[in-house]
Amino acid sequence: MIKTYFEKPPVQNTILVGMVGLVIYYFAFVFEFKYDFDWAVFVTEGQYGHMGHLMLNGLNTTLTVTFYSTLIALACGTIFGLARLSKFKPVYWFATCYVEFFRNTPLMIQLFFWNFALPNAFPEEIRFKLFEMDFEFWCATIGCGIFTGAFMAEIIRAGIQSIPKGLLEASYSSGLTFTQTLRKIILPLAFREIIPPLGSEFLNNMKNTSLAMTIGVTELFWSMQEVLSLTYRTFEAIVVATLIYLILSLIIAGIMYVVNEKLKIMPRDKVTPLRKIADIIFWPFDLIGQVLEYVLWYFRKSPDKRTVSPITRLTKTSVKQLILFAKILFISGLAYSLYAIGMAIAHFNFTVIWANLPTLLFWRFPNGDETEFFMGFGGLAGSILIAIIAITGSFFIGLIIGMGRSAKNRVLRIPCTLYIELFRGVPLILVIFWFYMVVLPFVFKVYIQAFWAGTIALTFFFSAYIAETVRGGIENIPPGQVEAAKASGLTYFQTMRKIILPQALKQMLPALVGMFIAAFKDTSLLYIIGVMELLRAGYAVNNRLMVYPFEIYTTILVLYFIFSYIMSLYAKRLERRLSPERVRIDM
Amino acid sequence: MRVLKIAAMAALLVMAASVAFAGPTYDRVMSTKVLKAGISNQGIPFGFIDEKNDWVGFDVDMATEIAKRLGAKLEKVVVNNNTRISFVQTNPPKVDMVLSNMTHKRVRDEKIDFSITYFFDGQKFLAKKGAVKDVKDLANMKIGSMQGTTSIVNATAYLKSLGNANPKVTGYDGEVAMFEALNSGRVQAISTDSTILLGYAAKVPGKYELVGEFISDEPYGIGLPQDDSAWRDAINFTLQDMWKDGTYMTIYNKWFGPKSAYPFPMTSKIELWP
Repeated sequence: MIKTYFEKPPVQNTILVGMVGLVIYYFAFVFEFKYDFDWAVFVTEGQYGHMGHLMLNGLNTTLTVTFYSTLIALACGTIFGLARLSKFKPVYWFATCYVEFFRNTPLMIQLFFWNFALPNAFPEEIRFKLFEMDFEFWCATIGCGIFTGAFMAEIIRAGIQSIPKGLLEASYSSGLTFTQTLRKIILPLAFREIIPPLGSEFLNNMKNTSLAMTIGVTELFWSMQEVLSLTYRTFEAIVVATLIYLILSLIIAGIMYVVNEKLKIMPRDKVTPLRKIADIIFWPFDLIGQVLEYVLWYFRKSPDKRTVSPITRLTKTSVKQLILFAKILFISGLAYSLYAIGMAIAHFNFTVIWANLPTLLFWRFPNGDETEFFMGFGGLAGSILIAIIAITGSFFIGLIIGMGRSAKNRVLRIPCTLYIELFRGVPLILVIFWFYMVVLPFVFKVYIQAFWAGTIALTFFFSAYIAETVRGGIENIPPGQVEAAKASGLTYFQTMRKIILPQALKQMLPALVGMFIAAFKDTSLLYIIGVMELLRAGYAVNNRLMVYPFEIYTTILVLYFIFSYIMSLYAKRLERRLSPERVRIDM
Repeated sequence: MRVLKIAAMAALLVMAASVAFAGPTYDRVMSTKVLKAGISNQGIPFGFIDEKNDWVGFDVDMATEIAKRLGAKLEKVVVNNNTRISFVQTNPPKVDMVLSNMTHKRVRDEKIDFSITYFFDGQKFLAKKGAVKDVKDLANMKIGSMQGTTSIVNATAYLKSLGNANPKVTGYDGEVAMFEALNSGRVQAISTDSTILLGYAAKVPGKYELVGEFISDEPYGIGLPQDDSAWRDAINFTLQDMWKDGTYMTIYNKWFGPKSAYPFPMTSKIELWP
């Protein structure tokens, strides 16, 4: 009786409104913040300048960094994505190294490395030329671009490989040439396939630019911190920064949504209003495409020209030689850079690395103070521990939220969706700030060690991502199974527990391992609140030594890489075992 | 479902327990015998990690001595330039006091309370030896400073007063990054409180020198929760007792005395109430 009543939309809407009302009532009248808000700091000129202008400048820098780094990422992604499909092995290896290396180390340390260590590799004159340009800015921009590029390369490769072999065979046997197949079959299909994941990479890239503040780029997060430490308005600064990031995320998501709508295949008589808007927006691109089509039509080769003339033969052989020459050049370039890297590593001060390795692995584990977390546990082992706790915790929260997200009932679905979008729309570093400086102390009035505050922040952040994975897993199960379960009298929870989740979890397994790697890498962000994880430990060592940044940051990079790479190999093996029908196509 | 209920109850209990502890800082420290102090761990020589991975420094020693005199156990909490004020500002405060080479300023005093000045410093510039012949040279140099400090504001104002309408001052994330910028040649000079500059300059002896005179006064105070006079008195009296019986100078000479790595002669006297 109650259940049928509950399924009616008006009832659900009323409950939702009631919930919102309760939350507002609680925070407006019952809850004591013990904090006096002063939003005027952003519109008035203070002793240290105009904070609103500071934030706007930050926003401007964020947008600039995002824009350029996205372009770099797209270029890197396309080049290396195609290189990953190359039959010429050195190119394939090089691209693979690029992708694996940059995907399996934290962006934060990559930025540190570019910023602190790389300039030392250049001779003095070049270094000073570099510094005269806006070094930190370009360091952050190129660093973010290269990092995101590695992810995009994988997406682009997967998109191209996702085209079934049969389609290619069909297109070749119906007489299309390679370029025609590429233009008419591969690219449109691949493009449609990669738009959603590419969109989330654009979003991630925008959020990742917040890390640029660690090397002194005055972007939005930097401005927020500056406001925070000049005006001491913790709450206001964090709220404003969050809102700006959320709006930016919404805009990017909106653009991607429109693009997606444009690419959808729908019958001409059933065009949605949104599609019409998308059509209008993309009209210039359509026009360019039509013009190209027209031009290409006139430039196509007629069949009688396909006979091989001596000149054609000559150009063909010279092209072959040119390619051979390019290959040799590529290999020698690769060999030289390998030699340079080898020489640089050989010149490392290994005694410094050996002396500090225990610190980097365990921090000061058995000798720590009793007030410290678990006798001074930290370093690499600490990072792994944080990742394990965070992923275990977020698995359960993610499971509940993910189930709620895919429920039919609005009372469950809308709050869960909001939760997911909120956490996915802001940078992790901001979530950490939220938990460490606002949610735990102001809202819950609990004061816990930075280790736990950071772990809790990671848990809630990753649960949003796991929830999306869970939703994907649940939606992949054929609806017939749910109907069959219903027909045989199982309740919702029984259906979930006995039928849907066991299958969905099996499908989710590789994604979960991937999430674990991401969490492990992102423990490096806890450095900002002083958790002694691997990066902070390395930072402390560098703080003491000062003169060996190259050695220390390289060691940290290698440590992160080894662990993440082993995990990602495991994820790949899992994936292969769980889906044996994958076939690599040849182009 | 029952598991969920139990979990919710447990969470509520934990929260209630933590709220019950809220109260005047003095009473809390005296009853729990735990003194939480916010200290930086990346500022040589005030609070940093040494070769044995121990957290040491002038501020650490001061905090330890204060805790000892109050009969409480010291619990060190990491703070940085961005969190040092907000940690005593929350209600109840996250830490009972903050020693983090923090200048006592009137704007800051609106938000939190300060003890009497326990260290006297001033802002200066550090540059490569011989790079700055005249203070005027600084005007058109690229300067590095620290994000979240007033040093960056002071330095910008000072360069403006030297005649550069649009000075280039970059705010780096902490002391290490700032010094690294100078060391790699990214900036020609860095500017913050002189003792911090001395601490880092001592890393590469003979390469760097302090230039110009003090461009500001930086009297350091211990940051304390707002409106808690019993607690502030306790800290002030302890500081004065330390000065009177010579403990202060012992700690001072350990870090800044003539035989230390960064000698910084004592020029003032802390406020003493008869």
